[in-house]
Amino acid sequence: MRQPKIIVVGGGLAGLMATIRVAEAGIPVDLFSIVPVKRSHSVCAQGGINAAKNQKGEGDTVDKHFDDTIYGGDFLANQPLVKRMCEAAPGIIDLLDRMGVMFNRTPEGLLDYRRFGGTLYHRTAFAGATTGQQLLYALDEQVRRHEAEGKVKKFEGATFLSAVIDGGGVCRGICAMDLRTMEVKTFTADAVIFATGGNGAIFGRSTNSVVCTGSAQAALFQQGVDYANGEFIQVHPTAIPGEDKLRLMSESARGEGGRVWVPRNPAEKRPPKSIPEAERFYFLEEWYPKYGNLVPRDIATRAIHRIVYQEKLGIDGQPAVYLDVTHIPRETLDRKLEGILEIYEKFLGVDPRVEPMKVFPAMHYTMGGIWVNGEDQASNVPGIYAAGECEYQYHGANRLGANSLVSCIFGGGIAGRAAVKYAKNLENSAESTPAAVFDGERKRQEEKNHKLINQDGSENPITIWRELGQVMTEHVTVTRINKDLEMTDGKIRALQERYKKINLSDRTKWSNQTLNFARELENMLVLARVITLGALARNESRGAHYKPDYPDRDDANWLKTTRAKWVNNDIQLTYEPVDISLIKPRPRRYDAAK
Amino acid sequence: MSSTATRPDTSYLLRKLHSFTGILPVGAFLAEHFWSNSAALVSAEKYNTVSQELQTIPFRLIVEWAAIFLPMLFHGGYGIYIWLRGKSNVSAYPWVGNWLYVTQRYTGLIAFAYIGWHLYTERWLTHGRSTYANVAADMRNPWYLTFFVVGVLASSFHLGAGIWNFLCKWGLAATVKAQQAAGRLGALVGVAFSVVGILIIISFRYDWHPFSVYLPSK
Amino acid sequence: MAETKQVIVKVKRQAGPKEAARWEEFSLKWRPSMNVIICLRDIAENPVTRDGKKTTPVTYDSNCLEEICGSCAMLINGKARMACSALVDQLEQPIRIEPMSKFPLVRDLAVDRQFMFESLKRVKAWIPIDGTYNLGEGPRVSPEVQEKGYPLSNCITCGNCLEVCPQVNEHNQFVGAAIISQVRLFNMHPTGAMNKSERIAAIIGPGGIQECANAQNCVHACPKGIPLTESIAEVNRDAWKQALLSWLVG
Ligand SMILES: Cc1cc2nc3c(=O)[nH]c(=O)nc-3n(C[C@H](O)[C@H](O)[C@H](O)COP(=O)(O)OP(=O)(O)OC[C@H]3O[C@@H](n4cnc5c(N)ncnc54)[C@H](O)[C@@H]3O)c2cc1C
Ligand code: HEM
Ligand code: SF4
Ligand code: FES
Repeated sequence: MRQPKIIVVGGGLAGLMATIRVAEAGIPVDLFSIVPVKRSHSVCAQGGINAAKNQKGEGDTVDKHFDDTIYGGDFLANQPLVKRMCEAAPGIIDLLDRMGVMFNRTPEGLLDYRRFGGTLYHRTAFAGATTGQQLLYALDEQVRRHEAEGKVKKFEGATFLSAVIDGGGVCRGICAMDLRTMEVKTFTADAVIFATGGNGAIFGRSTNSVVCTGSAQAALFQQGVDYANGEFIQVHPTAIPGEDKLRLMSESARGEGGRVWVPRNPAEKRPPKSIPEAERFYFLEEWYPKYGNLVPRDIATRAIHRIVYQEKLGIDGQPAVYLDVTHIPRETLDRKLEGILEIYEKFLGVDPRVEPMKVFPAMHYTMGGIWVNGEDQASNVPGIYAAGECEYQYHGANRLGANSLVSCIFGGGIAGRAAVKYAKNLENSAESTPAAVFDGERKRQEEKNHKLINQDGSENPITIWRELGQVMTEHVTVTRINKDLEMTDGKIRALQERYKKINLSDRTKWSNQTLNFARELENMLVLARVITLGALARNESRGAHYKPDYPDRDDANWLKTTRAKWVNNDIQLTYEPVDISLIKPRPRRYDAAK
Repeated sequence: MSSTATRPDTSYLLRKLHSFTGILPVGAFLAEHFWSNSAALVSAEKYNTVSQELQTIPFRLIVEWAAIFLPMLFHGGYGIYIWLRGKSNVSAYPWVGNWLYVTQRYTGLIAFAYIGWHLYTERWLTHGRSTYANVAADMRNPWYLTFFVVGVLASSFHLGAGIWNFLCKWGLAATVKAQQAAGRLGALVGVAFSVVGILIIISFRYDWHPFSVYLPSK
Repeated sequence: MAETKQVIVKVKRQAGPKEAARWEEFSLKWRPSMNVIICLRDIAENPVTRDGKKTTPVTYDSNCLEEICGSCAMLINGKARMACSALVDQLEQPIRIEPMSKFPLVRDLAVDRQFMFESLKRVKAWIPIDGTYNLGEGPRVSPEVQEKGYPLSNCITCGNCLEVCPQVNEHNQFVGAAIISQVRLFNMHPTGAMNKSERIAAIIGPGGIQECANAQNCVHACPKGIPLTESIAEVNRDAWKQALLSWLVG
């Protein structure tokens, strides 16, 4: 029998899980990643991974996890696959456990679970304060094992530029650039799985890693792969402000009892520790007595924005509130939160065990992404699959904390299996594709590089990127106003014009990061417009998408998925119904029982 | 797993042998040598008796070569080989362990040179019948004396640091605490050997026999 | 009016593995909580040296910017450390930035650390599970083992421990402290322990644990505070026992 071949682009949790599944099926995998896969963004996840194991005897069930996810996502997620994910979650934890993840343990030697935002149950398994790192390493190790056995070939330090799509609209491989030699090459595959992560870089500074640009998704979009729910971007309520990055202060700080407050007196000048209890405003606890500090992210974010911008109660008049863990015993902090507290101490030089931290919301997670079907992670282009943060499937309008890692592994696993099945049943294998299809795509990409390297212009790509980030953060994150969104779209289009005149300050042909960044920037600009236009069109408030002019959820008109298409070199928004066959939508409120 | 697949690399065996010979027999010999020489602290006669005792053991040549010279040649020779394959960076990273690493090498070399010369003068030139008088005469040469002092200190340091190394590198002291304790033990040995060694040198140089009080009064 | 504070940065530039190296000096605008990555980004936005010469942006590796991905290790003022956590205010100026010296140079500050990933392969740094299908829970692990193993599994493969080790150099293939520590981690796990002897066999092969000379620099240089010297000692103990046994039993 003919041996099919599969490519995986992206080596975060989703990509690695997909790789393992394909390798297990005995099919060779080429794994592409910009950074060595062990350095993928997934290592940043701190808090944990959800599964309804009911290990604490609280009566937690898969159905409750499912309900929390759908409810937390404000009913925008297609329900059947989310249900399957929640059902699979306990098995995923078992698998990770078998792979040797150093999860925290109970005295009995079982996994320990903690409580996270958006739920009332201890449902989150965790490994210290670096759960994502630990999970990624476990998968990375398994992939390395398959690599040692010759089943996986890694192309690390290579970036995906475009898919190779034949005349019949079927994906036959990819075109990639080696980031050292800057050589552009095509690679044949019967199916390609994308797991390229989120797109924080579009917002300039975020909690994401440097390579999270969304460039791959945007490139695919411009080749006819639909992009869904782009307007849904999660802003994390508690990040440490920084020049280069907004470093996350994980929800687990609140999960372990951390309290958010501001001084009641806006003119307060005393150091935080000497402000008496009565003069502190624990606004989350006061406004949302049931969930308190553990309300979902969108609620917490808007509450902090309200405190700072409307109530004018930000610390010292600055955009910041206190996240206080100083009342928790040091021993507990060191055991359960050491890693994340260290980050604060390292980057700000202040010990959060002694002094309350200053935090503020930051762009954090991309709910939207490559459109995939509700079955097996297949996109609308045959042969292209997507999994992980780069697709849109599981989190609806807002992701619950600790639900992403599980969705990455679940989605990656299904995508791997589905790609194998597809590749095996393919009538005309990719190898039969005429060489001209590959040559054509390669030449198209080479020409782009050639033009960028040789053109003379006046614009600096980093400057354009900074401006993009500023306008996106200001108008397309927490609060969205239509006229600002229109202005933002205009600004992005102006940036696209300026992009045409960029001048690379590096024109060499070896390890030229400027060239690669310029290519990513072009794609980011396109995706920025998808996000902005999606937000502009959606005249309601749902999950993370909040419009003060349309403060309520509008199921009659907007209980639908945004599906952006690339038509005649422009963005076209279409809509499709959400599968709500399992749980009937109800209002989402966290100030009372649901 | 069958153990056939687990054959260690030759370099592993040689390194372990090097490490082991540092303690046994080379380190043990150093200890024995300091011990027997400290007879000088009692009296010249006692020293001569003890040396004669040692100089007249059966199979002397075989014992000397098998238990002392060859192991020492191996430890020294392979030690130089190890040295050449390392690349010290103590100026960039001046941490204690790194200093010990460098000093271990230089003191080893000094010890090697010193022991070679010491053997040549006290063993070879005297045809293996060195006496108190021979040694005492050598000590009156200031160059000899200096070399004696430097050699004794270098060997003592090398053994002290070596014991610490040995305990760490065989996993006998694994935890940070245990390694600190091993360090203290090594330091103790180094200091003790230095003190005893210097006392012996003083004894030869100045005809000083503090323990002669132990002798039955004549 | 207070004049704007400047940060003086010297970067060792090298266009490729075979090109000649040279130093370039930059003067940047100081900002609060500035780190070395911010300096490099500022240079990229305006690649002009202190004496007004146009140059290219500096090539370097980075990703997470929070010291968890291991990308950005380099020599800063002569010491191996992570650029993203190197705060300008805590560094003596001019800040000297160089690539790591123990790994093949790619360009400027970027080096190739593939050797470490290959070494992980050699020592079988993984738990050999039967498959990813549902096989129930993993083995129970006591909190004690978890508390020992977790810090070890924090290794970000940055290579700092190799960079500072006097025994890692062109004369030998020493795998370095990080890899030895991984051997300990996997041997500690109840399932991993089943392949303990294979990992030990690998670590007493060429370039193995025997090359360690106990300078203990690694443990000082590790950004993750991993107890590397303890790991090396523990693995050493298992290693000689196994070597002795294989020699006695054949
Ligand atoms: C600070 C932080 C904390 C978080 N904490 C949690 C948590 O506690 N619980 C939870 O569930 N979730 C958490 N998340 C979310 C979660 O970490 C991510 O959603 C998840 O790790 C994404 O994994 P992924 O596999 O989709 O992509 P990533 O891990 O982002 O990997 C993307 C991969 O794609 C590659 N790639 C990208 N573009 C290209 C290209 N053009 N060519 C080739 N390769 C490419 C990259 O090199 C990388 O290997 C957190 C996120 C952040 C930012
Ligand atoms: C007085 C005689 C000597 C004694 C008692 C002695 C003892 C020791 C001991 C106990 C060790 C520690 C073993 C270990 O590292 O595990 C050691 C290490 C060492 N010795 Fe010696 N040694 C002597 C002479 C020499 C000589 C002549 C040299 C040659 C230069 C030498 C070079 C070394 C080196 C390089 C090491 C370190 C090995 C390593 O780091 O792996 N030694 N020695
Ligand atoms: S052990 Fe520490 S220094 Fe060595 S690679 Fe790992 S994290 Fe870096
Ligand atoms: S960028 Fe990840 S460790 Fe510095």
